[in-house]
Amino acid sequence: MSAVTYAATDLPGVQVQRQTSSGRIAMTLALAGIVAVAAMPWWASTGTIRSILILCCYIAVAQMWNLLAGYAGLVSVGQQAFMGAAGYALFVMAQTFGINPFLAVFLSLLVPAVLAVPLYLLLHRLDGPYFSIGTWVVAEVFRLVCSNLPIVNAGAGMSLRVMKDYSAFERNVAMSLLCAFMLLLTVGGSYWLLRSRYGLALIAMRDNPVAAASQGVNVAKLRFLIYVASAVGCGLAGAIYFMAQLRITPGSAFDPMWANVAIFIVMVGGIGSIEGVLIGALIFFIADRWFGAYGATYFVVLGLMTLLVALYARTGIWGLISKRWDAPWFPIRRKLVDPNRP
Amino acid sequence: MQWFDALVQGILLGGMYAQYALGMALMFGVMRIVNISHGDLVILLSLIGISMATAWGLAPVSVLIILVPLAVLMGWLLQKLVLNRVVGSDPLPSLIATFGLSIALQNLMLQIWSANSRSLPGHGIESQSIEIAGIYVGVLPLIVLAVATGLTWGLDLVLKHTRFGRALRAASADVEAASMTGINPRAVYALATAVAVGILGFAAVFQSLRSTVAPADGPAQLIYAFEAVIIGGMGAVWGAFLGSMVLGIAQAIGFRIDPGFGVLAGHLVFLFVLATRPQGLFGKATT
Amino acid sequence: MTAVLSTHGLIARYGDFQALYGVDTELHPGEAVALIGANGAGKSTFLRSIMGLLPVAKEMVRLDGEPVGGTATDRMVQKGIAIVPEGRRLFTGMSVEDNLRVAIDQAARIGAKGGWTLARLHKLFPILAEKARSQVQSLSGGQQQMVAIGRALLCQPRVLLCDEISLGLAPKVIREIYAALPEIRAAGTAMIVVEQDVGLAQSASDRLYCMLEGRVTLTGKSGDVTREQIGKAYFGAGHAVV
Repeated sequence: MSAVTYAATDLPGVQVQRQTSSGRIAMTLALAGIVAVAAMPWWASTGTIRSILILCCYIAVAQMWNLLAGYAGLVSVGQQAFMGAAGYALFVMAQTFGINPFLAVFLSLLVPAVLAVPLYLLLHRLDGPYFSIGTWVVAEVFRLVCSNLPIVNAGAGMSLRVMKDYSAFERNVAMSLLCAFMLLLTVGGSYWLLRSRYGLALIAMRDNPVAAASQGVNVAKLRFLIYVASAVGCGLAGAIYFMAQLRITPGSAFDPMWANVAIFIVMVGGIGSIEGVLIGALIFFIADRWFGAYGATYFVVLGLMTLLVALYARTGIWGLISKRWDAPWFPIRRKLVDPNRP
Repeated sequence: MQWFDALVQGILLGGMYAQYALGMALMFGVMRIVNISHGDLVILLSLIGISMATAWGLAPVSVLIILVPLAVLMGWLLQKLVLNRVVGSDPLPSLIATFGLSIALQNLMLQIWSANSRSLPGHGIESQSIEIAGIYVGVLPLIVLAVATGLTWGLDLVLKHTRFGRALRAASADVEAASMTGINPRAVYALATAVAVGILGFAAVFQSLRSTVAPADGPAQLIYAFEAVIIGGMGAVWGAFLGSMVLGIAQAIGFRIDPGFGVLAGHLVFLFVLATRPQGLFGKATT
Repeated sequence: MTAVLSTHGLIARYGDFQALYGVDTELHPGEAVALIGANGAGKSTFLRSIMGLLPVAKEMVRLDGEPVGGTATDRMVQKGIAIVPEGRRLFTGMSVEDNLRVAIDQAARIGAKGGWTLARLHKLFPILAEKARSQVQSLSGGQQQMVAIGRALLCQPRVLLCDEISLGLAPKVIREIYAALPEIRAAGTAMIVVEQDVGLAQSASDRLYCMLEGRVTLTGKSGDVTREQIGKAYFGAGHAVV
């Protein structure tokens, strides 16, 4: 499955090796982790489930930002636009129109997908760093529109009262399954994408977009697809997060805090790698639990750490690790090996 | 008459936005960098000014005389310590670095000054107005507009006719070729950022005289500066000035329609310009 | 006589790709040296390495015997080397005069003296006086090349590096530009001229170097080397000489 033999010609029987032992171990652990998340109602308390749900949202949002900034070269500071849009869509469908909330989670993903198309066509006209501020303006527009829109109860926000129809256990089962699905979609989906034939193009684009374009990579199309995919991924995280919160307001739905979270996780963990996102998310999750009570001081430290990583260690923690040990958890390289020569 | 009044108020508001937008246009033009902490620097300078005025009983003019050199120094340090390390063709490092700085500054200000809104005591000037053609116009907004016009005009002259201006334009056009004529790009960058942040010293005094400031207000100022630059057309300083006027008018008219619609109207005009004229209203189309 | 500029085993690379494999050259005061070679032989890389536009070791480039390899480009200009870059690289959006003034400003800032003034440049290329207020991008290719040469001269260099100044120009314009070179040399400026046209290179220089795949394959007095020698050095020994 992981090795393809090219032996039809009289060339030496070289094999393309795409999996490593570290990768096999990590893959087993990752699948076990997803199963454990899905099975949370049978081993975890409601409080633990809520905490892990937040961790899963961090991982999902950070990985979506990583795809954008780390591979497509699109540095967004406004992905919260799609989180809030999907969150609101869920609340309107379930609370106002009475659609089953667990079905509405999936239907709500149509909203970020549909919004992302015209938005990308607009924003990609902005040059480099201006693109970033543009994404922020879009999130602000969404926030202000929701603050003025009667159907979403304007500035007062909405509550998801229909969730009362389900027992606590039923809700826990649903939230756990949704979390497992979200991890599978965002992390698993990214891994699948990077190992597919688009993967090489994405990595080429990350390393040098101009050279990649000259080698036949359709950079513009790939960027567009990544932008839309990332909008959907963030939308899913938003829908699940606000379903768990049971309440949504314009301020919380389009909170720029999510951009901070994604940027901190990816930059500290290591941009352009799935491993980095997992490391960064875990660090942020733990730091938030331990030091969150320090409030402003804690955020000063987070901000300075982000600044220092950008100045001195752009590859983050995973970059430092992989320089020393060549043991990727999610190998995406293709390595040629000659089975006759050990 | 009500709409004519909104137009006038919008132009006056644009005078405030121009003071944020000039520095952003300058920095982007020469380095292709957007400093995400741009707005937070305005707020930081404002809060420093307010504290000085309260502690020592300074008049706004004295605050201005202290704040502008301080802002110049802050800009120079920002370039030396942060931006010179991240300037380059990849926009990611500079965005992340200034984003981190922005978060750190906002929360640092929150700790020092708390979340309260404050303003600079203007000793009456903020409430004076004069009647022109049946409309009451505030004296302070008029001064703000005059200063903004003066700053734009002065910056334009400096860019056109001084050694620094030519070096800066050369570095914007082709930084490598500029170094081939003996220009040290980092020295030009440091001066450009010093000037850009120096202008924010003016903005800080007027912002805190006109209304109130709080530690979390920075991002909004960043966004207004950005919208003004894009609406006006990238690069030219007069583009940023005129873009600020358009943004101010859009917000003032939006506010007359519905108070909750003011800021949103500005955003919508920005998106509309981006959709129909991405080079900006006053920018030349690039090929 | 000591060389004003010399390279010693100059090695340069773009990332993993090595472009120069130990290039030894020297340039004496007042001398004009031509550098010829096919596309991709490393001629432009050679000039860029000297100017500090590519990272090279300090000992590999010497100016008046002093090691200067890898010095920042603006510092190299201050030390007296100027370049007319490939593709001219003028400051678009600025007038002809402002393009030239940028160089005058910097020379004045560091107090460089070499005798080149706007007036003298206008005598060399009269069209530049006529077009002083025009935007550079509105000029013809030949006129743009004159601005690029003028900009380099106003840096008051002791050594002038010219990278393919005939590229894309009409023969008449090329003659006009090359006619200016003797006057520049008369001012005491030494020159390295990178040129694809071998005949032109020979006639404009005292000595020449021929490069192939990042190495010097031939050197000699421009008047002495034969077409056969050049052909061999230009294309490599394996190729037939036409």
